[in-house]
Amino acid sequence: MIHRFRWYEYGLIYLAHLLLLIFILAPFLEALLVSLRPLNAIFSIPYRFVTPDMGFDAYVTMWKNVPLLWRYILNSLFIATSVTVLALAAIIPAAWAFARFEFRGRDAFLGAFLAVNMVGGAVLIIPLFKLMVTLRILNTYMAMIVPGAAFTIPTGIWLLRSYLMRIPRELEEAAWVDGASRLYILRRVIVPIAMPGIVVAAIATFITAYAQQFLFALTFNSVNELSPLPVGIYQFFGRQRVIWNELMAASLVGILPVLVIYVVLQRYIVAGLTAGAVKE
Amino acid sequence: MGACVGQLNLKDVKKSFGAAEIIRGVSLDVDHGEFVVFVGPSGCGKSTLLRMIAGLEEISGGEVRIDDVVVNTLPPVKRGIAMVFQSYALYPHMSVFENIAFPLRVERRPQAEVEQRVRTAASILKLDSRLHFRPGDMSGGQRQRVAIGRAIVREPSVFLFDEPLSNLDASLRAEMRVELVKLHAELGATMIYVTHDQVEAMTMADRIVVLDGGEISQVGTPLELYHLPQNLFVASFIGNPKMNLIKVRCEKVDDAGIEVALPEAKGTINVPVDRRRGTKPGHALTLGIRPEHMTPDKSDLNLRLTADVVEHLGAQTVSYAGMSGMQEPFCAVHKGTAPVRIGQALTVGINAEDCHLFDGKGRAFRRRVDLARLAAAGDI
Ligand SMILES: Nc1ncnc2c1ncn2[C@@H]1O[C@H](COP(=O)(O)OP(=O)(O)O)[C@@H](O)[C@H]1O
Ligand SMILES: [Mg+2]
Repeated sequence: MIHRFRWYEYGLIYLAHLLLLIFILAPFLEALLVSLRPLNAIFSIPYRFVTPDMGFDAYVTMWKNVPLLWRYILNSLFIATSVTVLALAAIIPAAWAFARFEFRGRDAFLGAFLAVNMVGGAVLIIPLFKLMVTLRILNTYMAMIVPGAAFTIPTGIWLLRSYLMRIPRELEEAAWVDGASRLYILRRVIVPIAMPGIVVAAIATFITAYAQQFLFALTFNSVNELSPLPVGIYQFFGRQRVIWNELMAASLVGILPVLVIYVVLQRYIVAGLTAGAVKE
Repeated sequence: MGACVGQLNLKDVKKSFGAAEIIRGVSLDVDHGEFVVFVGPSGCGKSTLLRMIAGLEEISGGEVRIDDVVVNTLPPVKRGIAMVFQSYALYPHMSVFENIAFPLRVERRPQAEVEQRVRTAASILKLDSRLHFRPGDMSGGQRQRVAIGRAIVREPSVFLFDEPLSNLDASLRAEMRVELVKLHAELGATMIYVTHDQVEAMTMADRIVVLDGGEISQVGTPLELYHLPQNLFVASFIGNPKMNLIKVRCEKVDDAGIEVALPEAKGTINVPVDRRRGTKPGHALTLGIRPEHMTPDKSDLNLRLTADVVEHLGAQTVSYAGMSGMQEPFCAVHKGTAPVRIGQALTVGINAEDCHLFDGKGRAFRRRVDLARLAAAGDI
């Protein structure tokens, strides 16, 4: 179908994009502005976009004010990375099994996974807490990594499964005829071909893990040194006042790693989400 | 490549998918070194049968033996077979070298041996200069060669091909046909080749197995199938253009043959076939005559027709004409550029000894042809 848009249609399309972007990016912009303002200028009335004495002071003082800030950021990264690695170790073979093999209850399992996702972590906090107590992993990294992985695996399986289903079955059959074991096929044939799909699943897992760690960290961990950024950031809540500018600065610095990863890998995401069959 | 033995025996092999019986009891013995082609219309179960031999599909009943070992429950790699798939099934992320080397890598062969065997296979297939390419950068014919190379390095006793040429264009297909036949002569291995294309079957096979609805319709050499089709299915499947099949009535049965009358009193013809008990005058039979067996002069029966469609191919002229007693138009092949025009009357002559005759159930009456003499005369 050949269809050329008129100029005003283009105008409308871009306007819609613009509205959506403003809606999504406004909080980030406000966070940036707040982080640049001196504390006493933050609540000035009337609201002014640019206030006097803007600068990067908060980005320097925040490290002194909350000395463990770097540790929180590293914790966040470490927890999210571990969750991603752990989850992928389960997602890849599971997605392959769900994509390829016929077994009893396959569809029921898939449905159940979605259901778990809908229930979410918050509802299961108390049973999970009891589990942690029993396993004696409360107040360890494990307490934040294991549930993090558990709740990202279902989405990952769904994401990767649809990708794997597009890999021609004959590729695996050819390898099977040539004597390759299932694991060999997975390692040498499926994983390399599915790499774009795996990257998408990995990024989705990482971002989810990064975002959801607050809940698990708050409930399953009370050791300050192990806290990830979303919890650590509370230290900017002073007794009398909240140091908003430093808090926003710390938040933005905390988002940075995810942003970098996303920008670097985004061509994989687009390719992975839109790729047709892996024909060769 | 050493002496590959490869004997294959199927005994009453069956396959069902759920309630649907797809292969209904196939028995076949293949000698080592034979080139056997499974041919049949699409959906008749060729691939399924091949995949059962390969070990990709479970066998519901019967027995498959390779080199005198029952392989029913063996995984593919223990059966001594190699398979070439229709879609080539090349690994897009590996070079041609690694694609061909794949089976050897699985076996963890030493690097020197891998190099040597891959290069041998590559030189047979003229892929030497392309070993570092990715499959995605190659043409269809070259990819097909890589797929064959991957089969060759394993030195299997039986090669299995599932419609390996159907993704290629016509001229390349003809070229690859010749190369595969050469390869077969070179390797001396047993080859089982699946196709829906009867031309491929006729040109390549030592023996053809015609499958129809999950059953063997007939097994024979290309010449046998052409001259002595045992039933209507084989008669109309083998040969291009298709054999003309005319509904006729039995007039007289004697030792000389069976005399039949064409519809609308177009004449009678005495077909020299062996009689069969129970065939009596008045029975409805089917007369078969191949389009290429028309004689302009000296014929046993002349048919006056009016051509609806005429195809001038240069070397021959093909005409199609409506004819009573036939579902499809009567097709005739005339030598050279014949003066045949649409809408004009034309006369074609047929000889009784070229005719085939089938009973009400579609079984052929045995024709009196001497295959050895035909083969010696080079008459196909
Ligand atoms: N896995 C399967 N499950 C159910 N039916 C199948 C399966 N594979 C093949 N069939 C059926 O078996 C029949 C023969 O298929 P196939 O062997 O592929 O035919 P061919 O290769 O001769 O075209 C077809 O009707 C097809 O629908
Ligand atoms: Mg097929």
